[in-house]
Amino acid sequence: MSITQASDPIKGRIEAIKEQNNVYGVGRVARMKGYIVEVSGMENVGYFERVSIADKAEGYVSRIGRGAVTIELVKQNAPLFVGDEVSASGEVFGAYFSMDSIGKVVDMFAEDKMTGNIFKDREPIGAIPAPIPIMDRTKVHRPLYTGLSSIDMMYPIGRGQRQLIIGDKKTGKTQIGLDAIVNQRGQNTICIYVALGKSKKTVKEVYADLLARGAMEYTIILAAFQDDGAPALYMTPNVALSIANIYMRAGGDVLVVLDDLTTHANIYREISLLAGKVPGRDAYPADIFYLHASLLEQGCQHKDGGSITILPIVETRGGEITDYVSTNIISITDGQIVLSAKAFEKGQKPALIFGLSVSRLGGAVQTDEMKKLGAAVRQELLAYLETREVFELVNLDEMNDEMRRKLARGNTIMSRINQYKFSPLTPDEMLSRFSNLDGED
Amino acid sequence: MKIGKILTISNMSISVLLEKYEVSNRDTIYVEHDGQKVFFEIANVDGSVAVAIPIGSIYGLKKGLDVYLQPGGLRIEYSDNILGHVFGAFGETIDNTVIEEPQTKNIYEKNLSMAEIDVQGDILKTGIKALDFFAPMQKGFKMGLLGGAGIGKTVLIKELINNVYKGSGSNSVFVGIGERSREGRELIDDMEESNLLEKLGIVFGQMGENAMSRSRAAQSGLTIAEYLRDEKYQDVLLFIDNIYRFLQANSEISAELGNMPIESGYSTTLLTEISEVMERINSTDTGSITSFQAIYIPADDITDLAVNSIMTHLDGQVVLSRSIAEKGIYPAVDVFNTNSKLLSIEGVGERHFKLVEKAVAYFARYNELEEIVAVLGIDELAEQDMNIFYRSRKLRNYFTQPMFVTEQFTGIPGQFVELEDVLRDAEDILEGRYDHHDEADFSYIGAIDQN
Repeated sequence: MSITQASDPIKGRIEAIKEQNNVYGVGRVARMKGYIVEVSGMENVGYFERVSIADKAEGYVSRIGRGAVTIELVKQNAPLFVGDEVSASGEVFGAYFSMDSIGKVVDMFAEDKMTGNIFKDREPIGAIPAPIPIMDRTKVHRPLYTGLSSIDMMYPIGRGQRQLIIGDKKTGKTQIGLDAIVNQRGQNTICIYVALGKSKKTVKEVYADLLARGAMEYTIILAAFQDDGAPALYMTPNVALSIANIYMRAGGDVLVVLDDLTTHANIYREISLLAGKVPGRDAYPADIFYLHASLLEQGCQHKDGGSITILPIVETRGGEITDYVSTNIISITDGQIVLSAKAFEKGQKPALIFGLSVSRLGGAVQTDEMKKLGAAVRQELLAYLETREVFELVNLDEMNDEMRRKLARGNTIMSRINQYKFSPLTPDEMLSRFSNLDGED
Repeated sequence: MKIGKILTISNMSISVLLEKYEVSNRDTIYVEHDGQKVFFEIANVDGSVAVAIPIGSIYGLKKGLDVYLQPGGLRIEYSDNILGHVFGAFGETIDNTVIEEPQTKNIYEKNLSMAEIDVQGDILKTGIKALDFFAPMQKGFKMGLLGGAGIGKTVLIKELINNVYKGSGSNSVFVGIGERSREGRELIDDMEESNLLEKLGIVFGQMGENAMSRSRAAQSGLTIAEYLRDEKYQDVLLFIDNIYRFLQANSEISAELGNMPIESGYSTTLLTEISEVMERINSTDTGSITSFQAIYIPADDITDLAVNSIMTHLDGQVVLSRSIAEKGIYPAVDVFNTNSKLLSIEGVGERHFKLVEKAVAYFARYNELEEIVAVLGIDELAEQDMNIFYRSRKLRNYFTQPMFVTEQFTGIPGQFVELEDVLRDAEDILEGRYDHHDEADFSYIGAIDQN
């Protein structure tokens, strides 16, 4: 027997061990820092592979180092110890989804949060959807009505548009999202309300609000609570867009409300800093813009007919919309609805700041009638607000008739634009409400 | 050629244990995974370990995978085939077309020498009142359009494409960096509808794509602009939307490589990076590149380091301001920060120059008066100030303009205004010829109707 022949079985054994490693690559917990775990061993694990630590935790590979592998935990239900066995799954990390989720509050693992049961027919879906190529998109032109005249007439939203809702705490941001969802009744639209870091009580209230108005028939509430751990919170908006993608590719219209991206940005900062990444402006990691850009670029009118409309919500402090994360998101979205605490207190609802709110698609997503009237009303309102500011102290009696009429009409617009929550108007009702501004209110 | 094996993997980088050391920065390497090639670009080499940045998705990659060298590095088409095609940042076509017999060139071209650079050029009219008046443009200039989020940079770039490119008859290059894919798609459609796509070369590395894509779109776009300048001897119009995103993408890459950051987390090599790109945008005596570059101002902070490092390279700049946009005035030009190298008596003539001086002085006084009026009321002003107050408001309204590209949103038809008309109208307003007209009559018009 020659030497080469003798080495063959040995080679075979080595190959077999390697093969086995591919399937059952195991390692042991070496270090823990919150939800970031370092594991020794696992030479054959893939980047972003799903791994589990006994029955206690589940996560994904976030870094493959020279001697160790770093794992971020998405789920943990028991304390971990150094030396715990970590096993690889051989598959890329993903979320789960069941088509039965409509009408339910679920998480990214397709668990019904109301009952605690996991859907039996759940299917794995990608946690992070691939970018939608430029050529697969087409013009955003169909309107998505929120039922709010201040939005549908003046800052309209189209199917496939990304329209930011931004404002301080308690200015009615979530309410606009919920109004929009409720107004999709009978519009053949699947709605996904994404609750990030909200308390369980708040989410239950949202559920009750939507249920009472029949909106849960076409709505999924995808929730990641504050106690779900940072990696799950970070991943959930992406999962929402993965789900939205399924419906869009089937030709459906989807409305996604992301409540809210400020929490998302802060969670991502937390994970990045814990993972030892270099901090940038306001201590956010350098790729914070990309985080939100890649997420919101999922919103589109697909050439095959389906669409994903996204209403991301951003919470500001002290009305400051020019901070880093806010301006990042403004530069991604197709417009913004800016809300003001002051206007809210004065009883203006929804409390829009008209000068700062923008819809970049504007008339392109409106019917001709709405476009004409909306543009005229907006122009007149903005001129009124600017004039009012400059001439605030001028006595009304000293003004000429033209100016007085202008101010009176402006006042009328302001009062007719007020709408209480969950009291949507149809486009026709808006048209008749605003077509004669000189009459008595 | 096999050069080594993957040693480590993280979010935006891999390190490779080299078996052969003949690799250098900016070489392209790849691994095979699931029957697909995943490409990387080498960022640095330390002895037998090279660090590389991925160009595609790295999910599922494993330690120990074989790494191969892709000869030639990153390349893009360098022939007449660039026209009418849409390219991704790495030279691949993304418009579902295939280029037969590609002739490509590496995207990192050397810079021009001082002897090759030409500084002469004719005035270039944009037909946009505020731009031609406050920031006149010359062939071969680099004009920056600066603004915070959502106050009209992209609309302005689109209007310039409409006004300058459509009227020029020359070939143009559009480079979309880190901007919205929706707008990218709209640009392609608009150009196709007006039969201009076949004269245009387009490169996209949009905001939903990874940092390498957004960063290298700049170099790829410049390479095709250089082709038109150096091989076809043309006067090329280059539109970049948005050059800030190039530096932003680089800071993401730099952070991932663990380099020490500077102010606001920008990459250590910020100044080198922007110079490398800007120095390529120049004119020679046989061809020119005239560029309009949108520049995003992060967090509305005009003192931002990246923004300022870009400004250093510009021949002129138009600054858009949120406080002006808030009043419904578009384009929201901030006249105090807007300028052009051409704006001198030698460059534009005495009349134009003096008018700009006077207009800026009026606006400066107006800002002071606005505060006084808010407290004391308008009647307390002296006659001269009252004139300045009302005329400035009229002039401010006059510099709004209906745009061709927003016609479908606003319903107001676009206007191309000749510089001569702008000078006449500005003069008339400032000298009080329209004192008895309502200020609202000056909003969103073209030139003032002389009848």
